[in-house]
Amino acid sequence: MLAFRSEAHAGSWCRERGIARGAVFTAEQAWALARGWYEGRLDPAWRRRTPEEAERIFASAGLTGPFWRLV
Amino acid sequence: MTHVDRRVRLAILERFAETGEAPTAADVAAAIGEYEGVVAEAYSRLADARLLVLGTGTRDIWMAHPFSAVPTGFRVETERGSSYANCVWDALGIPAMLGTDARIETTCADCGESLELRVRGGDLEPLDWVAHFAVPAARWWDDIGHT
Repeated sequence: MLAFRSEAHAGSWCRERGIARGAVFTAEQAWALARGWYEGRLDPAWRRRTPEEAERIFASAGLTGPFWRLV
Repeated sequence: MTHVDRRVRLAILERFAETGEAPTAADVAAAIGEYEGVVAEAYSRLADARLLVLGTGTRDIWMAHPFSAVPTGFRVETERGSSYANCVWDALGIPAMLGTDARIETTCADCGESLELRVRGGDLEPLDWVAHFAVPAARWWDDIGHT
């Protein structure tokens, strides 16, 4: 997952490499995703999330749809 | 995950946070008072569980998310030390995991312009940038080095 100055920069990067545009989302969403995913990871009882749990974290950051589907 | 696996996983993350470097099995063994061979076996199990990524054919850590053992374009400084993250998600994940403020140095992947991100008191700034994932979530582990 890379950072870009703007959505236009992300589009330019994809075009130059001939790759399909993936998912573009805001810095706020990236921060929400990082917090949802990584907070609590230093808890000794932490365990790897199930695909359903991971999808819920994506959704809590507003990241939904086929791109984010794991189940 | 076994009791040893849990202790090894935590020791790896704590070591990365302090030094920015991947600990060897011997380092972790010394830190938690276990035999090196026991820790090395835990490394393999954690890699099988996708909680570590090892270098091909080795027991050397490449990634222990959110940390990278090799320099990347995502450098993170916290009160605990400097380290590298695997991507911008992981760069943000380091202060999220540690519960600390952070300064993240990266660049726009398109134009190369510097992007310095700061986390202070649980808030991120600036917010005038976007993130892009090239690969759908279900395929991230096809090649975890490229997402």
